[in-house]
Amino acid sequence: MILRRAQYELAGRVVGPFLASLDGWKRRKRSPSGTSRTSPFGPPLESVRKLKEIMTAHFFQARYADGAVPVAWVTSGFPVELLRPLGFHTVYPENHAAMCGVQRLVPGLSDAVEAQGYSRDLCSYARADLGSVITGRTPVGRMPRPDLLACCTNICQTVLYWYKALADHFRVPLVIVDTPYVYGKAEPHHVQYVRDQLEELVRVAEKVSGRRAEPEALAEVARKAKEGTDLWAECLATGMSRPAPWTGIDGFFHMAPIVALRGTDVCNSYYRMLRDELRDRAARGIGGLREERYRLLWDNLPIWFAVREVATLLAERGFNFVCTSYTNAWAEAGARIDPRDLIASAADSYTHIILNQDLPNRLGILRRLSRDYQVDGAVLHSDRSCKPYSIGQVDLKDRLASELGIRVLLLEADHSDPRAWSKEQADNRLTAFMEGFA
Amino acid sequence: MSRNAYIARQREAHGRKAVAVLPIHYPKELLTALGVLAVEMWGPPGAPRGDGAGRIQAYVCSVVRNAMAFLGSGGADAVDGVLFPHTCDSIQGLATLAPDFGGWDRESFTFLHPKGPARPSTRTYLDGELRSLARRLEVFTGRTLDDAGLAAAIRLHVEIDEARSAVLDARPFLAVGDPEIYALLRRGEWLWPEDHLAELRAFRERLPAGTRRPGVPVLVSGYVPEPPSLLQILNDAGAWVAADDFAAVGRRVVRGAPSAAEPWEALQERYWAAPPCSTRSADPDARVNHLLGMLDRSGARGVILQVIKFCEPELFDVPLLRRAFAARGVPVLYLEGELETELSGQTVTRIEAFVEMLAAGRAA
Repeated sequence: MILRRAQYELAGRVVGPFLASLDGWKRRKRSPSGTSRTSPFGPPLESVRKLKEIMTAHFFQARYADGAVPVAWVTSGFPVELLRPLGFHTVYPENHAAMCGVQRLVPGLSDAVEAQGYSRDLCSYARADLGSVITGRTPVGRMPRPDLLACCTNICQTVLYWYKALADHFRVPLVIVDTPYVYGKAEPHHVQYVRDQLEELVRVAEKVSGRRAEPEALAEVARKAKEGTDLWAECLATGMSRPAPWTGIDGFFHMAPIVALRGTDVCNSYYRMLRDELRDRAARGIGGLREERYRLLWDNLPIWFAVREVATLLAERGFNFVCTSYTNAWAEAGARIDPRDLIASAADSYTHIILNQDLPNRLGILRRLSRDYQVDGAVLHSDRSCKPYSIGQVDLKDRLASELGIRVLLLEADHSDPRAWSKEQADNRLTAFMEGFA
Repeated sequence: MSRNAYIARQREAHGRKAVAVLPIHYPKELLTALGVLAVEMWGPPGAPRGDGAGRIQAYVCSVVRNAMAFLGSGGADAVDGVLFPHTCDSIQGLATLAPDFGGWDRESFTFLHPKGPARPSTRTYLDGELRSLARRLEVFTGRTLDDAGLAAAIRLHVEIDEARSAVLDARPFLAVGDPEIYALLRRGEWLWPEDHLAELRAFRERLPAGTRRPGVPVLVSGYVPEPPSLLQILNDAGAWVAADDFAAVGRRVVRGAPSAAEPWEALQERYWAAPPCSTRSADPDARVNHLLGMLDRSGARGVILQVIKFCEPELFDVPLLRRAFAARGVPVLYLEGELETELSGQTVTRIEAFVEMLAAGRAA
């Protein structure tokens, strides 16, 4: 146990950061300028190096977490602030599945679960993660075995079934935080229900970790989480500048700390650095694209395996995604968090996640983002794997177009499975969409 | 009599309002107590038609796509409101799409039942949710729900479940085909409960127990037995339904009367006593044990899983069920459909071959 803990600390504090630095040095040696002269993108963000270092260290440390500290696998919308003071190393299967998506590993992982009877119609994140559990194949070296599975339904019901399958596999406690969907306004008994479940969760987590959740520690994590989401919001807000100092695609990658490390000093210091860099770029007129001609909004998850090719196709014609509803979701959650009463405020906050609210609320967010970021058009990713995000997009498309007078494209794909993607068709649709701006 | 004609007659003769109800689980006792006719909407089957058909992507289940099209084309105009239970992400989305963005402009209700096992928090919440729905229905009907009325409605539904259980249990000895049995049971989806109970009792009196039914007994599970011709094809092939776990049928038959005298407690007791269902996020072990128990009691020799394409709650349980039945050496036939009005020739051949295999006593 002591040796394992030493390995864990060493991995997170020394070896992980060293490996990330080494990797960065090798990359810079291969491509010193960081971007080619023909690239439509602006100079890369300096913060990227730090981002890689943080996330490499996080995943590297995770390899040694089981046996050293309690490990929890959690959903992206889970109130992780309640687990941090208990010393849990948190792992995000969605984050991991996104990495599998970027590296185009999903078809192989999915094959493994399809052979066990899982349908290809299920969410590709779930298939990738379950496939990784079955095969042991992962882009992060090794995923630590969980002691606790923590699932919150505010992003979808899919996670409920996915985590039940994980609980069946690992035979460890599963805590469910069931968040009633908000139609209009949340009823008091809905929020109270979430609050009661959070209190139940704390008791289970205390038992698993063998530690007590002290009020001061909870308040401290809540304060950090709130600060982190506020800093992330400030980073995103720099996209309102013309030109935007980065692209929405950058945002998809830079959101990793706010998802996986929310409530930590590492997360907050990173976003301070990123915000300062973005503000500096904005002040100096350095854009995410060399030439930003049109500004776009992106709705729904990214198409992880094609994120760069879609962005490049658009960037070559001066189209930049300056805001996305997906990255914005993590900027809004913190507003309701109150460090003086973490459980009550977390119940309220985590009930009001974008995907747990009705379509008028979603339309309101898209409308506000469109206006604040002065977009000329929007691409709504109709995501085969994410039904709660995708149902209603046909109507949202029409309403955005008619109310705001912007061009809107509904692009069908999948967030992780390239088998549900037709590059030629997508290129045609995107090209035709861009021609409409001429 | 058609459903629309029946709804009109209920309104004229009894002053009852009607509410269309999306699948699956909802406290029908509350509607009955307030004199509201529940008319369930399982799709309806067939290709989605009308202006609403294209408003939901093709990768969403046909129950929800068809319901959107049906509501949008005025198909449910005979009713006064729609109730959307919290069955899945897709019905959850439909519950905001149709009322908020067009397609349904009358009253809409939600029933957000808890997910997962019974815990202190879920019990408190369910009580709140039931009472909240009751309050909304009171405003809708202009009537007041009292404890005596609720208790009477619960007693009526307990009697109905007893009668439905009796029909399901008597199947091995009923000299009638599965299509007729299911037509009877599924009329409960839209008949006023007293009318349904009367039909169930008349059916039992008309058909006294006879000799044991010949053929191959099978267990069926899935969302809804559509198309109905599935049952005739099964019977024609030489098999019959010995155990039912369809969400629309068997999973909503609560066995045993509640012990609580207080009606709200009794209502909650019935909710938790219902058979395990994927859409309520039942414990996997509980669901497997329940199905294996059904298998043992019924003597079923094979299992037919009929799943609606894109139905996540059901699809996630499929590997678990396959493993459990395989461990028992029980063959499983997996069918996937999209609420077609008829089965394809290929599917019919698969069913026939499956039954032949079971009849010959071979493993899958």
